[in-house]
Amino acid sequence: MTMWLPLLGLILGISLGLLSDIQIPQEYGNYLSIAVLAALDTLFGGIRAHLQQVYDDRVFVSGFFFNIALAACLAFLGVHLGVDLYLAAVFAFGVRLFQNIAIIRRILLAKWTERSKASDTNPSE
Amino acid sequence: MKKTINWKFTLILLTVGFMTAVQYNSMKNPKERDTRDIWAVRHELAVEKQLHSELLSEIRELDKTIFTYKSLNDENTGKALTETVDKLYSQAGMTNIQGTGIIIKVKPSAESEAFGIPVTDVSPDLLTRFVNEINRFKGLILEIDGKRFTTLSSIRDINGITTVNGLNVSTPPVSMKIISPSFKDSEKLYSYLAASTIHDDFYIDNLILEVGKPERFVEIHGSPEMFENQFLKELPKGE
Repeated sequence: MTMWLPLLGLILGISLGLLSDIQIPQEYGNYLSIAVLAALDTLFGGIRAHLQQVYDDRVFVSGFFFNIALAACLAFLGVHLGVDLYLAAVFAFGVRLFQNIAIIRRILLAKWTERSKASDTNPSE
Repeated sequence: MKKTINWKFTLILLTVGFMTAVQYNSMKNPKERDTRDIWAVRHELAVEKQLHSELLSEIRELDKTIFTYKSLNDENTGKALTETVDKLYSQAGMTNIQGTGIIIKVKPSAESEAFGIPVTDVSPDLLTRFVNEINRFKGLILEIDGKRFTTLSSIRDINGITTVNGLNVSTPPVSMKIISPSFKDSEKLYSYLAASTIHDDFYIDNLILEVGKPERFVEIHGSPEMFENQFLKELPKGE
């Protein structure tokens, strides 16, 4: 039950975006792509924190917006300096995304093995 | 506490989904920039205007037919219908037509004759290209080697032999007849063909195109074939 609401939000967001047929100009494509990456990074970070029981509301929400803004600023700066700085953000977020997902996987695996062990020792359940 | 987490996750996921979808949209169909200059726009406008005037003249024609039908009393209705049928027959290329036009001859080139190169058929591709070339002009009536060419006609390769409407086109020399709406149009077509690059295309196949001077009297025979009507059915007569 707890899983469904966020999933519903995701589906709602995607369908809203696809149905509204909003298109952003090509020049800003970089900014949006990096913002999406930052958002995904924050999201997986949040899930990981939640699973590790260190989740903090303020950190999560502020991280979400701050990361997006920072990434956009970096991309903006990169465009004006003639250096593809947004690649740095892509790299950083990409690495963190993979790390977070790996940690989430480990935690879920550990939980799953614990549960199966418990059910093994307690077959009557 | 749990509830607030869920709500925030939902909101954030909604934002993420929305952003992803927008990005997907933008990547899928990037907005095309309008790079036309004033002349390109004018050209497009001219094309549209031509279409407009063509449609108008078509409407005028049909209006005339309607007017004829309306103005007739019962006795003459049959006559009007026969006239329409005759017009449709001539449009479909089933009647003989006389008019001003030009006669074009396709012959083997002098060089190929001198070298003794065997004369080949006019290839379907080349013939199609030629037909496309003259179709720039409106209202032409065309006959290729005695076969009437209409909008329904086909140029195909059947077992290595070029055919028009399924009938073999003979090996060059072959003559083609074109009838134009007026003598002036014939002259225009003649000048156009005289300067056209289609000669080069024929020359590659060791053929030459001999475009005859506009003539006052050219006759084109109707296609003897009847059309097979596969899809239209006669409605039962009303009570």
